[in-house]
Amino acid sequence: MLRYVLKRLVSLVISLAVASLVIFLAIEVVPGDPAAYMLGMNAQPDTLAALREQLGLNGTIPERYLSWVAGMLQGDFGTSYTYRTPVAEMIGERLWISLPLALYALTLSTLIAFPAGVWAASRRGSAVDMGVMGVTQLGVAIPNFWFAMLMVLVFAINLRWFSAGGFAGWEQGFFAGMKSLTLPAIALALPQASILTRVMRSSLLDTLSEDFIRTARAKGLTRRQVLWRHALRNAMIPVLTIIGMQFSFLMAGAIIIENVFFLPGLGRLVFQSISARDLIVVESVVMLLVFAVIVVNFAVDVAYAAVDPRLRGRR
Amino acid sequence: MSLLRIEGLNLAIHDYGILHDVALTVEPGQIVGVIGESGSGKSMTALAVMQLLPEAARATGRVVLDGQDVLQLSEADLCRMRGRVMGMVFQEPMTALNPIQTIGDQVAETILVHERVTKAEARDRARQALARVELPEDRFPLTRYPHELSGGQRQRVVIAMAIALRPRLLIADEPTTALDVTTQAQILTLLKRLVQEDGMGLLMISHDLAVVADMADHLVIMRHGRVVESGPSPDLFHRMQHPYSKALLAASTHQPDRAAQPQDMPLLQVRGVIRDYATARKGIWGKPGSFRAVNDVSFQIRRGESLGLVGESGCGKSTLTRAILGLEEVQAGQILLDGQPVFTGHRPNRAVRRRMQVVFQDPYGSFNPRHRVARLVSEPFHLLDTPPQGAARDAAIAAALESVGLSADDRHKYIHEFSGGQRQRIAIARALIIKPDLIILDEAVSALDVSIRAQILDLLADLGDRLGLTYLFISHDLSVVRQVTDRVLVMQAGRIVEQGETADVFANPQHPYTRQLLAATPRLPDFENT
Amino acid sequence: MIRAALTNRSLVIGLALSLIFVGAALVSFVWVPQDVATLDIANKMKTPSAAHPLGTDHFGRDILSMIMVGARTSIAVAVVAVVIGMGLGVPLGLAAAARRGSLLDEVIMRGNDLVFAFPSLLIAIMITAVFGPSALNAIIAIGIFNIPVFARLTRGAALSLWTRDYVLAARVAGKGAVRISAEHILPNVTNLLIVQGTIQFSLGILAEAALSYVGLGAQPPVPSWGRMLADSQTMISLAPHMAIFPGMAILLTVLGLNLMGDGLRDLFDPRIRRDRR
Repeated sequence: MLRYVLKRLVSLVISLAVASLVIFLAIEVVPGDPAAYMLGMNAQPDTLAALREQLGLNGTIPERYLSWVAGMLQGDFGTSYTYRTPVAEMIGERLWISLPLALYALTLSTLIAFPAGVWAASRRGSAVDMGVMGVTQLGVAIPNFWFAMLMVLVFAINLRWFSAGGFAGWEQGFFAGMKSLTLPAIALALPQASILTRVMRSSLLDTLSEDFIRTARAKGLTRRQVLWRHALRNAMIPVLTIIGMQFSFLMAGAIIIENVFFLPGLGRLVFQSISARDLIVVESVVMLLVFAVIVVNFAVDVAYAAVDPRLRGRR
Repeated sequence: MSLLRIEGLNLAIHDYGILHDVALTVEPGQIVGVIGESGSGKSMTALAVMQLLPEAARATGRVVLDGQDVLQLSEADLCRMRGRVMGMVFQEPMTALNPIQTIGDQVAETILVHERVTKAEARDRARQALARVELPEDRFPLTRYPHELSGGQRQRVVIAMAIALRPRLLIADEPTTALDVTTQAQILTLLKRLVQEDGMGLLMISHDLAVVADMADHLVIMRHGRVVESGPSPDLFHRMQHPYSKALLAASTHQPDRAAQPQDMPLLQVRGVIRDYATARKGIWGKPGSFRAVNDVSFQIRRGESLGLVGESGCGKSTLTRAILGLEEVQAGQILLDGQPVFTGHRPNRAVRRRMQVVFQDPYGSFNPRHRVARLVSEPFHLLDTPPQGAARDAAIAAALESVGLSADDRHKYIHEFSGGQRQRIAIARALIIKPDLIILDEAVSALDVSIRAQILDLLADLGDRLGLTYLFISHDLSVVRQVTDRVLVMQAGRIVEQGETADVFANPQHPYTRQLLAATPRLPDFENT
Repeated sequence: MIRAALTNRSLVIGLALSLIFVGAALVSFVWVPQDVATLDIANKMKTPSAAHPLGTDHFGRDILSMIMVGARTSIAVAVVAVVIGMGLGVPLGLAAAARRGSLLDEVIMRGNDLVFAFPSLLIAIMITAVFGPSALNAIIAIGIFNIPVFARLTRGAALSLWTRDYVLAARVAGKGAVRISAEHILPNVTNLLIVQGTIQFSLGILAEAALSYVGLGAQPPVPSWGRMLADSQTMISLAPHMAIFPGMAILLTVLGLNLMGDGLRDLFDPRIRRDRR
């Protein structure tokens, strides 16, 4: 088990190193001179030089990469050119919206998908199964930001249960904060829950047709008992993969949904920085999101080993 | 009163009849063998007793077990009976166990679903059940997972689960088909012992007449969903009435006529061949290990000879085959065909490779389903420098197909239009098309039903005589090797441990491993079939 | 095969829905109810009527015409992205499978993992940050994301095919890895690729809509479904039809493609149940 985790850890570090290199090259090297890009056409030579100095662009490319990585390792993401504040501070503030939103949505989608998937699989071919499959077929096809807009129309504008956008702030209390995140989280969770329900159902059905299920039935277990005791844990292996992949879609989806609801999260920050040509902020946020995706996938790999003894290695 | 009495059992799946008026009985302490080829309905009969049929299946008739007709029982009652009154062992031990649960938990579960006992007590009894199937706790702790056990050991765990509550009836559906012959013998002995100890009835399903003949008290022969003949064993072998039973028996002991005599000149020479594989490295920074699959193997095949190579799975026979065919380079030694090396300077030698071909085991996996027979059969032309074109190519394809008993018009068909036996004929046609000297038969008849197998063996013998072919006949099945080879090699753990004239080796084996293999091979009772 | 296709409900409905939108896109090249370049402020934000079956937008443009023209963008972006994904992913997957366990395999698979860490939105953000927004960005971003999807699928399927005896027979016939991949592996993964292709097509439409919605995709004046939704957002309480119809267009196209993928899967392999995620 330890060896397996160590191996995964090594590949985690390599992935992070390569990903950071890709981001660095894409944003700081490909465009040529980032400082000139950020200042636009009419930049004065002396302002340009000053910005270069400030951004540390005077070193060679490997030097700049290493100092960028070294900075990040110490929590220093550089200083935003437009806001003149440390990027780490800006990200920290925004993270308090984006992270709870993603976790809220992930929780919702898991809470919906597990019972729905198990229910549909255990009554395969019934009206329940057809209903679940039909609804999830729609859920997979619906653009989440459009669904968000429709929810705003119904629940915020017509029914006035929620506000149409903005964030109450955590200082208003936990529930006020969560309330502002509820519609966005539902919008994010719906397509993910649909996908997860379908994976859960098909994985369970696959497992239920395995030989060992028949062996268990021959021992005298009822259909329900084999489902809960044997099929469910085995069916979790593909489901875990999807949950891991969903996290990256949730991060991406959150960036878009934040725009629908005018939430001041990382997504808003990215778009503001793009229009302000603030490459330093874009670079850091992208790196942070990629970091999150890679770390979550590492966690999923470790979870595999917890579920599946074959991965823990022979004793 | 019989323990199990099946009367007038009919079974249909989606209105397609599978079983017709099946009847058989099992007495306590009796072993009843059900024999049949694929499609005979033998497994469906077993599943009907367990009531673990596919959902669309509808059964009528009477299946009375222990005084109760299982066809009339509710699902809840059936669950109470399965595992307690009747247990079942399946064919494929590699997939029959839950991969993420320990063997102790899986055996204990049988007890826990049927009796109100504590977990500790259930584990205690699981321990006893595993000990009874010869998996003692000191060597096989209850905390083992299935992937840590071999196929034979897994089958023992399945048996332990089935007998943990000492059921009245045990059903074993091809319990040893997926296992090596020595493991098979051990499992069969184990089953026999358990029947004697517990006085339970055993319904044993098999395609292999010899396996069942060895141990059953009573035989039931099935074909196309009907019982064609049944009676006590071994008497039944002498009094067989039904033409199918007789044909089945004849096919099982079939000895093809071979006229050709091997010439006294070597065709294939294998000298001191060693083949190592790299294995996974130990630890993150460890060195990759290596595994010697073929260890210093030397032998030769004379022109026109039929040489058998026998050994159990993992003994290195497949690796050796790939080396001979020039698919993989060896680490040491030489492989020469007619004096020419198979590999010259790290590259396979085309001139040599076009003189040998191979026929594989699986008639279903041997052909690309998207190509027509003409293209499939002519694939080896790739080895020729100037492959025949146009009419010459068509003629060669037609000749190859006709030589294996198919029609030239079959070349326009796709492979799914053929049965297993016909596919194996097409595989032989593919091997013949470039007129090779040596044909390697890699378990080429192992997947076939006995009657089809006899036909293919006849065909091979006939082709050998007519075309002067040399065969390397690789098989795990000693009885087939005995029927069709001149000389035999016995391989164990990468080495050839014994070689000699087939008749001599079978009559008077020298190496302990050969003796063990021969002792384990099930044999039909000795008699003349008249 | 054709008869089986016609009795497959998912396939028929899916194909019909998809053809409606592909047809609408094609028709828009020669005819639209009203030119989308001309603004008609007097008739802005009109609800559906005989003259404008789906109403008009905030510049008085006919929404039906906008949807028809917008279908071009969505379909073009998604199709090109699938072509990029297949064109690069399939050869990579075939190569990785042919050289299983080799350095090449390792590099390809790790490269895949790396790309998977960058959702297409992040790729689009990076491209836009450097080169500015355009429909081309959307194509590249979605296309790059499609590469590992096809590479993995192809490799997985090819690996199991490489263990088949007919591949061994081809090797015995002296055929090399490239030839075997072309003759024996690729033809037997095409069904799988077609099914995955329709799925990635539908995901591409969703992704293009999302990118255009946040301004990283097609730029005005080119009409696109995502942009139409972005424009409608501030007016949603005044003119909900501006938001509803383009959204329905996306939903129905994606639904149609997904149903088609399900149907094709059933058709190609009746053993696999209709259990798509």
